[in-house]
Amino acid sequence: MAQFRLQGSRVLAVELAGEAVKARHGSMVAYTGQMSFKKLTGGGDGLRGMVARRLTGEQMTVMEVKGQGTCYFADKATEINLVRLNGETLFVEADNLLCTEGSLRTGTTFTGLNGMSSGNGLFTTKVEGHGWAAVTSNGPAIILRVDKSQPLRVDPGAYVAHTGSLHRSLKSGAGWTTVIGEGGGEAVQVEFTGEGLVYVQPSEKVTIGGDV
Amino acid sequence: MSYPPQPPYGQSPYDQPTQPGFAAPPPPGYGPQPGQGYPPPAPGYPQQGGYPPPPPPQQPQQAYAQEQFGGPQAPLPSTHGGSGPVVYDAFSLPVNDNVNPYAFSVDLNGSYFLQKGKMVAYYGDITFKGVGAGVLDRMIGQHFNSPMHAADWVVAQGRGKLLLADRAFDLNSYDLDEGNLTVRSGNLLAFDPSLRLKQSIIPGFLTLIGTGKFVAASNGPVHFVEPPIRVDPQALVGWADCPAPCHHYDHDYMHGLIGGIRRLTGLGGASGEEHQFEFIGAGQVLLQSSEKLMAERSVGQVDAEAGVPVGGVPSQPAASGHGGGNLNVPGLGNLGDLGRRFGL
Repeated sequence: MAQFRLQGSRVLAVELAGEAVKARHGSMVAYTGQMSFKKLTGGGDGLRGMVARRLTGEQMTVMEVKGQGTCYFADKATEINLVRLNGETLFVEADNLLCTEGSLRTGTTFTGLNGMSSGNGLFTTKVEGHGWAAVTSNGPAIILRVDKSQPLRVDPGAYVAHTGSLHRSLKSGAGWTTVIGEGGGEAVQVEFTGEGLVYVQPSEKVTIGGDV
Repeated sequence: MSYPPQPPYGQSPYDQPTQPGFAAPPPPGYGPQPGQGYPPPAPGYPQQGGYPPPPPPQQPQQAYAQEQFGGPQAPLPSTHGGSGPVVYDAFSLPVNDNVNPYAFSVDLNGSYFLQKGKMVAYYGDITFKGVGAGVLDRMIGQHFNSPMHAADWVVAQGRGKLLLADRAFDLNSYDLDEGNLTVRSGNLLAFDPSLRLKQSIIPGFLTLIGTGKFVAASNGPVHFVEPPIRVDPQALVGWADCPAPCHHYDHDYMHGLIGGIRRLTGLGGASGEEHQFEFIGAGQVLLQSSEKLMAERSVGQVDAEAGVPVGGVPSQPAASGHGGGNLNVPGLGNLGDLGRRFGL
């Protein structure tokens, strides 16, 4: 089993003994031992997944890293968060997924029309199975728990990932004042209800909705 | 004055030797105390070499997170040693303190002023309204002085926990006790309604007066220094208690014909540090640990009047700000100052 650990908070070290991991294309910064890097077309989801990724625009260029030794991954000095999956599903934006263990399946999933106005696209990436996944965030991610009594609202630009059985819906705080540019600056929010964990980053991507 | 000497977040993590993997275990007996310190970042991060992490310190909220984690209910992510990363919820989020150096949690009960677009997430029932909107117009009179570009500010109203962050910059909160503090307009993030915000005479700066807490962002951790001191203009975040701020040029170096040529052309070695800000008197000067400016916020235009610095000249947004970009908050049909003018 590949060993995932953090070297500092911005570099991911993966120890491999013959297994394979999937990592974002070009994210390797160094390695020791013997490694082979193979580009996987279409996010490594197979032929059907490839077509899905093309269609959905949730593009992800992925390479398969295989070998013996330690391989180091990093992405623009963003913070790395390790997520251990034990059979549950992680939903993450393709931009934020750095590396997944070979045993995890990745795919795309429809998030509904909610994604569109938040600038995150209609689709998001789904990771499921047993193993480690590494998720990047601009600044260390904060993990927020959602349960039935505590719904959470998140700025779409700060949303990184979530796990658990969460329902995601778009809330609008926009009123007539937004139209004339005097709105509250937080016109679009994503509401999470249900049970699960939401990862947010202390930073906001530029989104279409985020500026309103 | 309680603001300066307290290290920004309790135990000032910057002073400790940084260890890879956030391995530094907090001293025994460390527990979350309101208003001091943030919990160590995710003690459950896998350690160097994959050793099992040291037994986690007994922390109520950590225990809570774990109990929730390893509970019999829905399988949620956890790490090797059974202690997962710190998971926050509405109760375990710190009260008016930093969650980590880059995020600040406000325990909201009433109202709070924040810059547009700095909310990251919230629990509870909170509404965000532009300060200039409708009934909130009254608040401008109380908390902002009139030429202040109040349209860039938002009032958060309601009850709940509110997380603030700004492009992963370092955030610090400051307590003012019948004091005043002047800060660069782009650095001020949020403030308690018990404070009054005024436009400083010095262009591009805002002054907070009164008693209460405010949150400011900086590029790198903030350092407090006492005058007399000369500082680099780009590293200046603000100052407290009015030490006379003035310009200072290294006169000898920039003197005479040769100096003039040097200054105009840079030939013969201008060091780029000939111009400084000088602070004299009692007080505190706040410096950030980089020379990267935060983009300036428009503070609005001051009426043209004799004796008013930069009166009648619209303030120039800094072109060299971090990330650049237009900070005049584009929106659907943003009318800029017009909305303000018509009292919308």
